[in-house]
Amino acid sequence: MQPGFSILCFQASADLPFLVFYQRKGVMHAAASLLNSSNLSLRFASQTQTRLSPWIAAPSSVRLPLNRSQNYRIALPPLHSTVSGDSTQPQQMASADVKAQDPRIAGISSAIRVIPDFPKPGIMFQDITTLLLDTKAFRDTIDLFVERYKDKNISVVAGIEARGFIFGPPIALAIGAKFVPMRKPKKLPGEVISEEYSLEYGKDVMEMHVGAVQAGERALIVDDLVATGGTLSAAIRLLERVGVHVVECACVIELPELKGRERLGEKPLFVLVS
Amino acid sequence: MDSEETRGYRAFLKQSVWCLTSQYQVSFSFFFLFFCFVFSSWSFFFFQIWWAAGIMFQDITTLLLDHKAFKDTVDIFVDRYRDMGISVVAGIEARGFVFGPSIALAIGAKFVPLRKPNKLPGEVISEAYVLEYGTDRLEMHVGAIEPGERALVIDDLVATGGTLSAAVRLLERMGAEVVECACVVGLPEGQRRLDGKPLYILVEPRLSVNY
Repeated sequence: MQPGFSILCFQASADLPFLVFYQRKGVMHAAASLLNSSNLSLRFASQTQTRLSPWIAAPSSVRLPLNRSQNYRIALPPLHSTVSGDSTQPQQMASADVKAQDPRIAGISSAIRVIPDFPKPGIMFQDITTLLLDTKAFRDTIDLFVERYKDKNISVVAGIEARGFIFGPPIALAIGAKFVPMRKPKKLPGEVISEEYSLEYGKDVMEMHVGAVQAGERALIVDDLVATGGTLSAAIRLLERVGVHVVECACVIELPELKGRERLGEKPLFVLVS
Repeated sequence: MDSEETRGYRAFLKQSVWCLTSQYQVSFSFFFLFFCFVFSSWSFFFFQIWWAAGIMFQDITTLLLDHKAFKDTVDIFVDRYRDMGISVVAGIEARGFVFGPSIALAIGAKFVPLRKPNKLPGEVISEAYVLEYGTDRLEMHVGAIEPGERALVIDDLVATGGTLSAAVRLLERMGAEVVECACVVGLPEGQRRLDGKPLYILVEPRLSVNY
């Protein structure tokens, strides 16, 4: 038996008889049973009985703490809860199996503050202002975007008011693109084209200056957070109306439950924190 | 030949109206002299700039479309503030957000957004400032800055200085030392409401359209 496993056995005293029983069947089976017996709401726990090796090959970000008790919930690396309210949803587990998570992302996601019941009760607001207070995390955020887009020949970065204005211009400056602000109605002074999009209740309008972009340019749309994808898809429609090719949408945070990715259709979406 | 009418009540009315208006003729001459002064001297030049800054909208979005000019703007600010020991850059919603974060990243400072009411989610402090008609409020997160930090306030344009002075008051209430206010476009008159805080402006507003 592996030494780590014996420590587990010693600590999880409530599970000891269970473990002894499963000792013969092998280490992996016992571990799976341990998981299933305690109150862990891990999505992959249900898969352990059928596919144990992927669990063992799970990303290094899953750290099994030694002091386990019956009701202990494994604290995953900081992932942000959404409207569902469950704070241990491992949304990133599926993608982490196929790509290694950049070590900077942990620092970025831990710098984001979640504020409950803003602007309405039941909504967990992802506050990026604390990310802006952490110079290293903010720089890493911009670096991650710049590294991804600097060789993609992007000539336009479109930022959506107002938090897109925080991340868009540094990216635009670094990759040599121009920055185009997409604003709420009646903010832009010149001639504008506008696009209507629907909110949870009602509609809103997004505007862009006529002549800011030319047909055939390659564009990147930047915002801080993608929820339902309504704002992003309005931005895509605005740019495509004038003949611009939208290469990708980039956001810092994604709320996967709200299915923004589906709303964008075939347009790729790149997010740092899910 | 004098007809009867010229010596009648009409003549009397004309004469009385002329007497009544004669007092206004004096004040009219003063107005005439005033306008002559205004339109003939250098004060008219400043009058037109003041008038222009309010009505001729200085649109920085075209600056953002020119990558070299945008980069130069940020570089000038960064060169100025890199060695001033600034730890906080505060940007005023929303056009201050376009210039502030790039400067903050380059000088190694943190960026604090100052926003309109009900935008910031956490606990905020707010400061009222006067607009042309009515008042508005500027808000900042509590705990974003610590007392004693050296701060820089960024906005794209300064007109009366009302927003900038509200931002300075907000930062000073949290105990920060505001080193300077920086704007891309503005008139030196904008400094009047800053109570002695230095104001650094790159360009002055242009009076003529160029598109």
